[in-house]
Amino acid sequence: MASTEERIRQLVADNLEVDGKPLSSSLDLGVSLTEAGVSSMDVVAFTKVVAQEFNIEFSREQCPTINNLQELIEFLDSQAA
Amino acid sequence: MIMPTIDNSWWRHFRTVGGVSIIHVDLSPEKECEGEALAWLDEQEQVRRQRFVHAGPRRRFSLCRAALRAVLCEALNCKNEQLSFQTSRYGKPFALVQDMPASASFNVGHSGNHGLVAYAPTGRLGVDIEERDAQRDLSLLIDTVLGPEERTALALTQGLARTRLFFKLWILKEAVLKALGEGFALDATCIRIPAAMLGGKKSGMLRLPRLPAVTWRIEDLGNQEFAAAVAYELDTASAKKDEHPDA
Repeated sequence: MASTEERIRQLVADNLEVDGKPLSSSLDLGVSLTEAGVSSMDVVAFTKVVAQEFNIEFSREQCPTINNLQELIEFLDSQAA
Repeated sequence: MIMPTIDNSWWRHFRTVGGVSIIHVDLSPEKECEGEALAWLDEQEQVRRQRFVHAGPRRRFSLCRAALRAVLCEALNCKNEQLSFQTSRYGKPFALVQDMPASASFNVGHSGNHGLVAYAPTGRLGVDIEERDAQRDLSLLIDTVLGPEERTALALTQGLARTRLFFKLWILKEAVLKALGEGFALDATCIRIPAAMLGGKKSGMLRLPRLPAVTWRIEDLGNQEFAAAVAYELDTASAKKDEHPDA
């Protein structure tokens, strides 16, 4: 089964782009999506896609504590543990 | 370093709303001014710029930040070298002049070929802009962002009118969220856009359940090219005047 990181990278590849170009599969996971140039609208939509993929819900309190994809992966792994 | 004047640079005065000045930043690719903008950024901003993965966002950041620097230097009567920025817990920037917090309220938004800088001497404010994308799948966003009345209003529209209304509502809420400086930590569905604005009115006032004492004025700045909005905090006297204009 694919790891959380592999699944997130696939979701990024399938759903996010900047200026019409997909985000690189070698995207630095420590960089926030905003710093990667992703629009706030795309970030919100991506959050919904992740929630559906992992069958979870993000609370309002959790959203500000997840600053980049690495922290998102760690959060998802902690939920699965 | 000498800042260029408003008339020979890539930004122009766009609107004044209440006490808020709004500047449009031309981010179109044919504007060859990124090198000039880059020279105005301090070391911290240059590092941040390098973190952008793609050239487009790097360029937009440089041009908007340089425009913001010019606006603030003029408003605060300081030199570019004296100006720096820090960010709040949720990432909202604030200005420092010679390492001391400055009395200035500002916000920046950009999308595609357009950027906006909003500035006022005091009071919280937020500005946002988005080029409309008629192909965007709105289904992932509607429930996250819109309240019941707004969803009903949207359901009564279709095609281009639906796209325009959704982007208008999104951008108005983003402007309020940016004014608060808490990002999407606040439930956007709790920001109720006044009914008259759902019907086409350009401006209105609102209060948030968690901050009932604060009145926010919101203004739709959108045009044919983009959706845009500004939200700013009204002082008590202005709020009363707006509620009772004939008093």
